[in-house]
Amino acid sequence: MIDTTLIGPCADYEHDLVELHDGALGPERARVIRLHLASCARCRTWAVDFAAVDAQLAASLPRPALSPGFETRLEAKLDALTRQNGRGARREAAELEHESLLESLQRGVRLRATLGAIGWAGLTLSALTAVRSLLAQNAGLLSSLPEGPERWVAFGAVGVAVAVAGLAWSAVRNGLPVPGFAR
Amino acid sequence: MAMDTGIEQHLAAGRHARAFDLVVPAYKDRVFRLCFSILKERAAAEDATQETLVRVWKALPGFDGRAALGTWIYAIARNTSLMELRRRRPSVSFDDPDSAEAQHAAASIATGPADDPERDNLLRLLETLPRNQQEAVRLFYLEDRSYDAVADQLGMPLGTVKNLLHRARKRLMELARPDEVKAA
Repeated sequence: MIDTTLIGPCADYEHDLVELHDGALGPERARVIRLHLASCARCRTWAVDFAAVDAQLAASLPRPALSPGFETRLEAKLDALTRQNGRGARREAAELEHESLLESLQRGVRLRATLGAIGWAGLTLSALTAVRSLLAQNAGLLSSLPEGPERWVAFGAVGVAVAVAGLAWSAVRNGLPVPGFAR
Repeated sequence: MAMDTGIEQHLAAGRHARAFDLVVPAYKDRVFRLCFSILKERAAAEDATQETLVRVWKALPGFDGRAALGTWIYAIARNTSLMELRRRRPSVSFDDPDSAEAQHAAASIATGPADDPERDNLLRLLETLPRNQQEAVRLFYLEDRSYDAVADQLGMPLGTVKNLLHRARKRLMELARPDEVKAA
């Protein structure tokens, strides 16, 4: 087992010796460490060894630099990416336009269905009014119909039949909003 | 950093392309040295530098300024280099200096062939140190012995960097002169 206390520098000064060598110590502390070095052979020996390793490292470690064409290659790479991004942006814009078109088409379909329903309701009402006035003109025909609520049920049945027929026609012509409108 | 102020002004005004034009000359060399300290190969470090700057170019519009620009760029460079390192060497690790592999490597290198030049021996001894110590040492000498530059680029507190460098060089002294240690 090696007793490192016999070969290393004084423990209190070890870090300072390194920083003194690296030039990272403040002037006052540097002066104190130099005074200690002058009087301590162990620290002097260690500092010399440390300086030797430091000098060897500084001389041995490679110091590469970027090749001269680096910036040109980087620019070429960024240009290629910009072109790719341009194509991506155009595709995204086309998709947005497609979405917007689909949305406006859906809005148009709903509007047409609503107007169709209102139209059919008006038509039904007109038909009922016409039937009523026809019956009023022909008292005999009116008296042949049952009295009381049954008479209104008959009128209602006629109205409902006309409305259902109208809606069915609209649906067949794809004039109603269809849930789950596919792209 | 004065250059960073100009870059940040462009960024604040939304002029990302002009900001990037300033980023490249200001950071390319330091990013390269950082990548080299991790990857230890010039070509790989240059590729990682390019990849880092491409990532910076892509992400610059989203840079929020919460961290300093340099800190942000060096973090991207470190991640890029470490990803490359993992891709190339997924299983080899000398991070633990006390591991059997590291001890064996250190012993075999320190007692290597007598005609090995001292310089090469020292570089091979450096390889036996934990990865973070190796990176700190390489970067320290690449950056002309600047503690601050190393701390900045490795994203570590100054005290941690000083400690890493101290331990690394002390260990190298011990490994390089085993006979003197034994004699003492």
